[in-house]
Amino acid sequence: MSDIGLSENGLYGAGHALLSVRNLSTDLRADGRVVNAARQVSFDIMPGETFCLVGESGSGKSVTALSIMRLLPPDIASHPSGEILFAGRDVLNMPEEDLRHLRGGSIAMIFQEPMTSLNPVLSIGEQISEAVQLHHPALSPLEVEARTLAALEQVQIPGAAERMRDYPHQLSGGQRQRVMIAMALACEPKLLIADEPTTALDVTVQAGILELLHDLQQRTGMSMLFITHDFAVVAQIAQRVGVMRHGHLVEVGPCGEVLRNPRHAYTRQLLAALPENLAKPVAFTPLQAANLDAAGSLPEPLVTIRELQVWFPVRKGLLKRTVDYVRAVDGVSLDVEAGCIVALVGESGCGKTTLGRALLQLERPTGGSVRLGGRELCGLSARELRPLRRGMQMVFQDPQSSLNPRLLVETALTEPMRAHGIGVNQEERIELAARVLERVQLSRDYLWRYPHEFSGGQRQRIGLARALAVNPDFIVCDEITSALDVSVQAGILQLLLSLRAEQRLTLLFITHNISVVEYLSDRTVVMYRGKVVEQGETGQVCGEPRHEYTKQLLAAAPRLRL
Amino acid sequence: MIEGMARGESFAARIWRNTWRGFGVKWAFAWIGLLAFAAVFAPFLANSMPLLIARHGQISAPVLKYLSVEDVCLLGAAGWLALVWRLRLSGRRLWSVLLFGGAATLGLALCFVRPPALVIYDDFRGPEFADADWRLMPLIPYAPTDYLRDVGGAGLQAPFAGGGPVHWMGTEENGADVCSRMIHASRISLSIGFIASGIALAIGIVVGGLMGYFSGWVDILGMRLVEIFEDIPTLFLLLTFVAFFGRSLYMMMVIIGVTSWSGYARYVRTEFLKLRKQDFVQAAVASGLPLPSILFRHMLPNGVAPLLVALSFGVAGAILAEATLSFLGLGVVDAPSWGQMLDQAVKSSTFNWWMAVFPGGAIFMTVFAYNVIGEAFRDAIDPKLLGKAE
Repeated sequence: MSDIGLSENGLYGAGHALLSVRNLSTDLRADGRVVNAARQVSFDIMPGETFCLVGESGSGKSVTALSIMRLLPPDIASHPSGEILFAGRDVLNMPEEDLRHLRGGSIAMIFQEPMTSLNPVLSIGEQISEAVQLHHPALSPLEVEARTLAALEQVQIPGAAERMRDYPHQLSGGQRQRVMIAMALACEPKLLIADEPTTALDVTVQAGILELLHDLQQRTGMSMLFITHDFAVVAQIAQRVGVMRHGHLVEVGPCGEVLRNPRHAYTRQLLAALPENLAKPVAFTPLQAANLDAAGSLPEPLVTIRELQVWFPVRKGLLKRTVDYVRAVDGVSLDVEAGCIVALVGESGCGKTTLGRALLQLERPTGGSVRLGGRELCGLSARELRPLRRGMQMVFQDPQSSLNPRLLVETALTEPMRAHGIGVNQEERIELAARVLERVQLSRDYLWRYPHEFSGGQRQRIGLARALAVNPDFIVCDEITSALDVSVQAGILQLLLSLRAEQRLTLLFITHNISVVEYLSDRTVVMYRGKVVEQGETGQVCGEPRHEYTKQLLAAAPRLRL
Repeated sequence: MIEGMARGESFAARIWRNTWRGFGVKWAFAWIGLLAFAAVFAPFLANSMPLLIARHGQISAPVLKYLSVEDVCLLGAAGWLALVWRLRLSGRRLWSVLLFGGAATLGLALCFVRPPALVIYDDFRGPEFADADWRLMPLIPYAPTDYLRDVGGAGLQAPFAGGGPVHWMGTEENGADVCSRMIHASRISLSIGFIASGIALAIGIVVGGLMGYFSGWVDILGMRLVEIFEDIPTLFLLLTFVAFFGRSLYMMMVIIGVTSWSGYARYVRTEFLKLRKQDFVQAAVASGLPLPSILFRHMLPNGVAPLLVALSFGVAGAILAEATLSFLGLGVVDAPSWGQMLDQAVKSSTFNWWMAVFPGGAIFMTVFAYNVIGEAFRDAIDPKLLGKAE
């Protein structure tokens, strides 16, 4: 099939491109409404080349990738114009039988979520050998096994021979993504479409996967269509880049060219919104400010954590005896000075979210002490804590689930005020709530709307407004920008800095993004496996890290400096 | 998702809009509405008393004189509901108006409504009232327990049969009009469905909510309680109680309610376990809100949707239970019910189709309508379908 395709290359005049997308428009129909998901998109991918499609959520990059494999359901999607030529063959008008050969045979795809793309009831060996068998039906079982093993070794899974019998839940996220890649590559595709393959992974794992993809491409000579929202990843992997916005491909060009001299205003705007490129406001030194307060000795920090432990028991056996503990937070001590932004960095599972929740007593610590403004919080009952909660608030990661879908924004903001006796009557509280909304740069009319009417960034601002409504001393922000697009993230980060400057807000900012840490925080705390491995001034921790793990983390973090 | 949405539309309104889509649902609501209308206005729809009668130059409304306490309560409840709907009240005001109105109506009815102890249906047809100038009779001019002894008491007449008075659905063996009995029986079916399910729902929400929110020991104990109540066979318990304490509609409602809450408790428990970990509930805890607000404002409204589905199936189940009991001859004696009418149809020496088809059809239609509504709710709250719809 491919031979014919290659020979037809010249006939169709598509140059030497392996994949050629011409004026492709994609419409999606839902409930009588038509969404123009992609409009007049054109690009080529040469053999052996890595092409990155980059854009914010909803820009149509995934839809374009799915159209190339014709994976969009035909009753929803249609292509009013355009053509897709793969190795000279028209994909859009291909009969179903040829399409089946094309998918997985010549084009393979890997997805964002490695948790759900593998079948949980089959071992990884079975899943890979199924792919191998499908494409080489003549092989004997022994040969299939050998190929499967080779495929697993190719993606650098340690102890591949033993791990073949493992089930997906026994592997880490990065290993699962490696297995997905092994399955995709088992049939030696000419084009690999990778749809945000590292977005769900930690930076150190992401670095490994990107390196692996690069190696495999060198070895097999395949082309790659890489979809991402992260310019730093683009800089690492791409040869050519296409920037998408609202379904339009606004700019295409060689990677260095686009990143250094962006021609389109939108590309410039996106690059400027990266935290590493944001203009940092005048440095604010909380220690000096504190010195002014008390002439003699330094005042006590606002938050003092000593030897904090959160252990979850692991129960086994008939009687559910506790056999061991998961030490989510294991002896953490740190101080947060008033008016200071402290960043808590670490990879997923290091205990940073648990620490944030234990600080606010949402998760009860099993040991240690937390003092807020001189008052011990550990060991207080829920009733005793309730009045103290006015002083400490939290903003959550997921803007979809952090607001009650049943309540008006007005109720969400005024209810905590009423619980803490702020404002004499409801009218006054509504006025206060409107002012809080204006402080997070939202219109006061938004009080009378429901959460589902807002975008992710707006919801995150409402979540922030809810925390600010009771005028707290201290706010824990748990990954509040990681579900947002870069330009939206930039807005939230700038808002936090201006709020801090206005009213000396104290923040514990939990994140995994080193660039955000550098932009936002005064002090940085690095966590690894439940323990704090390094803490200090942000410039010092990110500039001259002392601990081995911090060095590793900083080296793996993709950053784009212009 | 944002663009196509009407502004300010609440979550409940969205679910309602999605429920109201199908043809079947509209039909089902129409049927339930018709039943509710028949139940509330039964004395004005089917009665032997004239609605209005003019005699010796004076106009009187005998039907009002004979209204029972139950009739007045039903009318009052319907009135308050209509008022609340008209004024578009919601939240706390809605419940306070309903509770106050309900209590006031009940109190007034108990104090002031004194229907004559002896009702002689023949009176108004008899010679005493023959000199009336004119009279306005209800649509069906026979009360459900009017055995038409004065007319000849033929008994067992097919619809539109015979030369005498017209009976749309025939008469039963004692000579009472079947159509009139059907209308009055709709009260029992509706009230047993709603009150029994209401009792079950209230118990289920409290027990399930506590289990789900506190988990741990409360959950373990609660689940054992649920299992105990699941093991009680409702029908046999009902039979036993009827044998010991006699027949009472209210006792039946309470027993059905008290034995069928376990399903609701399970639903609420699961929802609460899930919701407890949701960020917005955590945010409510972190804001220092009091426990009742967290439970009833932030968790219950978000977990109530599956309950609606269970509720509509539960109402259908309660109606069937009452019909079964009445069919076995253990239902209420003095008031007609659909199950009891079916029983009569079978007991008669000959098979009289009109006595089986009408009540049987009504039971079928009502249970079917509630099931259709339950299905529609289930589809409307399914997040996958919601996502597709937006």
